[in-house]
Amino acid sequence: MTPSSFEWIQIPYALLTLFIVVNFGMLLTALMQKIGARVGRRHGIPIWQNYADLIKNYALRTSITHGVMFYLGPVFRLSGGVGLLLFVPTIYGSVMFANFSFAGDLILALYFVFFGTLGMALGAGESGHPYSAIGITRGLSQVTAAELPFALAVFAIALQYQTLSITEIVAAQQGGVSNWTLFTNPLAVTAAMLGFLGSMMRPPFDVVLAPQEIPIGPPTEYHSSYLALMQTNRAIFPIAKIVVYMNLFFGGAASWPVFFFKVFCIYMVSVFVGVVFPRFRVEQSIRWFLVWAVPIGVAAILLV
Amino acid sequence: MMAEVAMATGFMLVLIGLYGALTNRNILRIIVSFTLATTGVNLVMVAVGYMHGRTAPILDEAVPAAEAVARIIDPLPQALVLTAIVIGLGVTTLMLAYAYKLHESKGSLDITKFTELKW
Amino acid sequence: MVNALILIALGLGAAFLIGLLPSRWRGLAYAITLAALAAMAAIAGGWVWYFAMEGGQALEIHTAGTPPPFAVALHLGMAEAVLTLLVTVTSLLSAIYLKDTLHRLGRRAMAVLLILTMSLAGIILTRDLFNLYVFIELMVIATAGLVLLSASRFALGAGFKYLIISQLVSILMLIGLIFAYHATGTLNIDGMADAALITRQGGMLAFFLLFIAMLAELKPFPANGWALDLYESAHPAFSAILSSAIAGAAALYAVDKLLLIGGTEWLPVATAVGLTSFVAANLLALPQDKDRRLLGYSSIGQVGLILVVIGQQDILGDDYLFIAGGILLSHAVAKAGLFWLSGFIPEQGLSAWSVLRQRPLLLFGFVTFIAMLTGLPPFPGFYAKWELMGALADADRIGVMILLLFAALVEAAYLFRWFGYVIKREPNEGIAQPRPPLRKCLVVHSATAIGWGLAWVWGELSVHANLLHALPLLFALGFLLIEGLPAWLKNSVAIAGLLAWFWLSYPGYDPMQLIFGAVILVGGALILLASYHAHGKRIGFYPSAMLMYAGLAMLIVAETSFQFFAAWELLTIGSYFLILRGKHSEPHALSYLVFSLGGAFLILAGFSLAAQGADIFLVSALSELSEPLAPWIFALLAIGFMTKTAAIGLHIWLPGAHAEAETDVSPMVSGILLKAGVFGLITLALTMGKQQLFGIELTHVMLWIGALSALIGNLLAAFQEDAKRLLAYSSIGQMGYALFGIAMMNHLGLLMALMFVINHYIYKSMLFLSVGGIAKRTGTRDMYRMGGLITLMPLSFIAVLIGIIAVSGVPPLSGFGGRWITYNAIIDIETRLPLVILFLAGPIAFLYLFRLIHTIFLGQLKDEHRKLKEAPFWILLPQMIFVVCLMIFALVPGLALRHVDNYINQFYPGGGLDWAGLTITSQYGYWAPIPIMVVVGAIFATLFLWLVFVNRKAQKVKQFNIVFAAERPHRPETTHFAWNFFAPYRKALGFLTEPYVTRFWETISEALHSGADLTRRIYTGNGQTYAIHLLAFVVAVYLLGVGL
Repeated sequence: MTPSSFEWIQIPYALLTLFIVVNFGMLLTALMQKIGARVGRRHGIPIWQNYADLIKNYALRTSITHGVMFYLGPVFRLSGGVGLLLFVPTIYGSVMFANFSFAGDLILALYFVFFGTLGMALGAGESGHPYSAIGITRGLSQVTAAELPFALAVFAIALQYQTLSITEIVAAQQGGVSNWTLFTNPLAVTAAMLGFLGSMMRPPFDVVLAPQEIPIGPPTEYHSSYLALMQTNRAIFPIAKIVVYMNLFFGGAASWPVFFFKVFCIYMVSVFVGVVFPRFRVEQSIRWFLVWAVPIGVAAILLV
Repeated sequence: MMAEVAMATGFMLVLIGLYGALTNRNILRIIVSFTLATTGVNLVMVAVGYMHGRTAPILDEAVPAAEAVARIIDPLPQALVLTAIVIGLGVTTLMLAYAYKLHESKGSLDITKFTELKW
Repeated sequence: MVNALILIALGLGAAFLIGLLPSRWRGLAYAITLAALAAMAAIAGGWVWYFAMEGGQALEIHTAGTPPPFAVALHLGMAEAVLTLLVTVTSLLSAIYLKDTLHRLGRRAMAVLLILTMSLAGIILTRDLFNLYVFIELMVIATAGLVLLSASRFALGAGFKYLIISQLVSILMLIGLIFAYHATGTLNIDGMADAALITRQGGMLAFFLLFIAMLAELKPFPANGWALDLYESAHPAFSAILSSAIAGAAALYAVDKLLLIGGTEWLPVATAVGLTSFVAANLLALPQDKDRRLLGYSSIGQVGLILVVIGQQDILGDDYLFIAGGILLSHAVAKAGLFWLSGFIPEQGLSAWSVLRQRPLLLFGFVTFIAMLTGLPPFPGFYAKWELMGALADADRIGVMILLLFAALVEAAYLFRWFGYVIKREPNEGIAQPRPPLRKCLVVHSATAIGWGLAWVWGELSVHANLLHALPLLFALGFLLIEGLPAWLKNSVAIAGLLAWFWLSYPGYDPMQLIFGAVILVGGALILLASYHAHGKRIGFYPSAMLMYAGLAMLIVAETSFQFFAAWELLTIGSYFLILRGKHSEPHALSYLVFSLGGAFLILAGFSLAAQGADIFLVSALSELSEPLAPWIFALLAIGFMTKTAAIGLHIWLPGAHAEAETDVSPMVSGILLKAGVFGLITLALTMGKQQLFGIELTHVMLWIGALSALIGNLLAAFQEDAKRLLAYSSIGQMGYALFGIAMMNHLGLLMALMFVINHYIYKSMLFLSVGGIAKRTGTRDMYRMGGLITLMPLSFIAVLIGIIAVSGVPPLSGFGGRWITYNAIIDIETRLPLVILFLAGPIAFLYLFRLIHTIFLGQLKDEHRKLKEAPFWILLPQMIFVVCLMIFALVPGLALRHVDNYINQFYPGGGLDWAGLTITSQYGYWAPIPIMVVVGAIFATLFLWLVFVNRKAQKVKQFNIVFAAERPHRPETTHFAWNFFAPYRKALGFLTEPYVTRFWETISEALHSGADLTRRIYTGNGQTYAIHLLAFVVAVYLLGVGL
């Protein structure tokens, strides 16, 4: 298959996508926080809280650094989020919001996820704070198992559609809800969604940040504008990731309203599970993924 | 008949010698046993070479050269025996010399005492 | 042509002449001895020249003017000439060696030596049974006399035990002889054969007695305790004669002659006896720790091996003498050399031989001898082994093959373990450095020279090319001659050599070979840049390294199976020497060698089966093989190659070998050497394709092995505390991916494997160099002892950073290309289950990679490291070049891959990639390396500038300035989170990392050792027990040969 190639106009288009997604992400994560709080009978944060935090962090005057990698960590992190978003077409059928998807297919998105993670882990490592390192080991350990069902699901649908191009996968799901992968390959979607739970930093899989046991995991030493960059990423990254899920399993989105709705619903899955279940320790979550999610993924690739 | 008796005796001697060599711990007795066995072997050889009713392989007036093939005993086994006896003597002498030296080294002729080299 | 009788008369006459001399004239007596031996050797040499160069015909020599049966006849042909030469030369050299001993003991000892030599020549030449008996008795008496040359006080006991056995032997022989004569009327061997002795009444028994008597002289298992005692206690110079001339030449040839009478039906008996001895002696040698006794065991084993060859002569045809001679002469020269060497060693322990390290030439001799014994190229044993296996495979004698290879492996194991002791161990306290007189050294050197000469001769005789004509090998050996030069000079020569060879070979390479050629030769030269860091002469490094490179360079252009196998052995042995150089690598190098040789033997077996008797077998002809043999050959070759790629199950040698190797050696043996296995597997997959064994698709098995290797390799890497071991385990995982790619048997799978070849070379070499440089500076390889080195070693950090990004497959670096191709390749795959494992393995790479960079460079700097400097320049330089290479390869992978992609079309048509423009397109997806790089770079740069803008006043703080629960950490050791980094992971999946495989192999090794240790206790040291062994052996062989 031949993708389209680069034109300069794509840069402003991509920036527009980014702008929409950043704002949507800020509001959505706050909303999810609030929903979670209300389930726990707490009042929760105001919906604009993320904006306030961002402004506050940029405005902080004290700013220290532990070294070059520490400095670059947030840059890596945010580049990872932005890159992931921009390597995947956001709106199906739109030239405007196809972003830079000509540069690579599904596999690029899959592996680019790690770019930011790795960079931030390195930056946090240079701070020398043991809690950062502990958070990273937990995160890395967990992700090895959590990624597996997702990878299996991706492979299953690549087999199903005989393509690795996200655009083509979305195209194959058009023409009605029953064409969604969710219905044509429910096993793969189940596996992927279980994996999804593991990557959203919510209970029962949020031991990486573990607000109670260790201060805050990898970002422990980050503050001021570093933290601002990371917060921006925290708004973008889940959306970017959900876009991939949406495109692969839920028919993609042909317009922004559909996009907002679907992203919200998919995000809600993790929130829903999160408010119900307590937290796993790392080895528990690894076992959980291997015992419950992986077999479904295996079944998915065997039954395609 | 003579030949059979000689051969049986020879083999008996060999067996007795071997038995002696394997059961006696004393080195001198072992050597003697081997001498016995060697004698038995020599006897066997002579017995094999013996041909009934023939004469000694000496070519003189009694046995003219022309008739020799039909009348004399094959001389070869006897020559072999002579050589074997000489060699056996040599080996026995050497063994005795060894026995002497072994006794000198440890003051004992018990073969089980000379087992430092093993495994 | 001198008459054979003159040779015998010379020995006898000289002995008598010496007897007439006054006993004070020792000098003259010694001169006469030497002159007589030299003259005998010259005569024998003249015969060899006559037969070899002038094409002379074999002669019958009649004595007393009469043909047999009325007189003794001698036979003189090529075999007799060579063996006589061997016997006389060995005696001559031993006589030179024994000068002082002979002087001390006087003319009688000299006379006995002459008699011994003469009788050995007699045994070889005579065709008369009784004459044979006489010579053997002479030999016995002379042997029993010469044993006493020894200074050991145990020699007496050993000599007496020998005499007991000899008595038994002569009884058996005489009885057999007389009955054989009685049955046939002749004593001539040929006459008896013509008279068909064994068909006559009692003939069978008579022959059996003769035969068993001669067999007993070969010291067969278990009737060989006396021989071991003799070897252990006799003077080493006499043991040399005993091993190479008496057992190796005379007794074996006597057996060979007797088999003329016995005919083909006794050949299996000879084979069985030989095999038993070969296997048993080598096994029993395993727990042996006394040098001469070990050599004794090895001698018995080698003689057993030659007896097997004798027993197989019915299928060897014209090659019989070539094979038997190759093994026999290798054994004789090597064993004589080793026994002579043992005279220089002040103690009998194996480790005591480490005193040889001070004498490079003697050490070279030692290596030569061991290589000859183990049949390594280019020595005669190698050619012989090859031909022998070919013939056995052709005749379907698989059992013999298996046992021979097994025992040969055991032998190599203990010989090279010994070599490891010599190189690595320290002699016991108080051992004086031996100062052997020049004369004795020259004796050993001449054995070394003869060994190499024989290597050349056998190469010339071989139907295959003479390995000593191969330019790469000569280049490698040439470094032996310039060992005295400083290392930097040799390094330049080596680099120039590698590049020049690449330049010369470049036009002849096809795209696939080009990839491997570039990795091996150009890549090798690049890594050698790091070797400029070494100071001094670095004795031994360059010959070993170049031997490995020579093997590799020959491997990728090998056309015939012989060339392939020879190259394989060369690279194995070269890399073994290289690995052994590491400070603590002795056990690991041994384990590497044993696995590699085991693999090599499987390859040998595979090729032998494949050739089906043909002399020359093209590797490409593997594709023409058919059932039922083909799948077996595939399995043998595949397992053989997988020992080199360290596939799971065969991997236990790798971590230690790679981790303990020197800084610049680790990248060579990891980045380059492992590719030999990949090359083999690719060749195999492309020629043989899919094979089914018992209904199981073998490539599917390989898929599983590849996936499991990837998983277990990665998992184990994540749990290492030692940085180099971590990298080593990672190689197991990476090679698992390559294996998986090959086993997919499709276009992109192969491309993926090649991508891994290039990538793994670049990043693993780079990482090993970085880590090596850091270990050099910090003095440790344990990562938890490091930490915070980023500011002190920024360039090393950059190399590691780029390296881990590339390994992990994160875009935009080249590792991603490998993953992308992988995904495209697996869509076509039929077997999907192993994929699950491969998927699981993928993210685990992040674990160990992050650990590598974090615990070394990030976290807390230790106090003792505060003043460290950046790694040495020469170690950094190649790393920086690798960084550039990695970037280039990441941006334009097509540069290296598009041609090979095209080339693969001829094996797997279709399914390739489209390289047009900036985007690489497959059937399923696409990938544009340059746009990815640009987009990522642009985003990164923008955000970076933004951060610099908003955060321009950021202040650098000190190490402990962190939020630490309102406390201030005081020690970096307690704050650096590094040890047992992935503890939760170990809790969850640690059960997968239990060393099951290591335990499995250790159990086997342990069982062999303790079994052998138990068995060797049958050698009680009691002469009577030995006699009973002999009788039991006689009965056993009788039952085997004649039946009940």
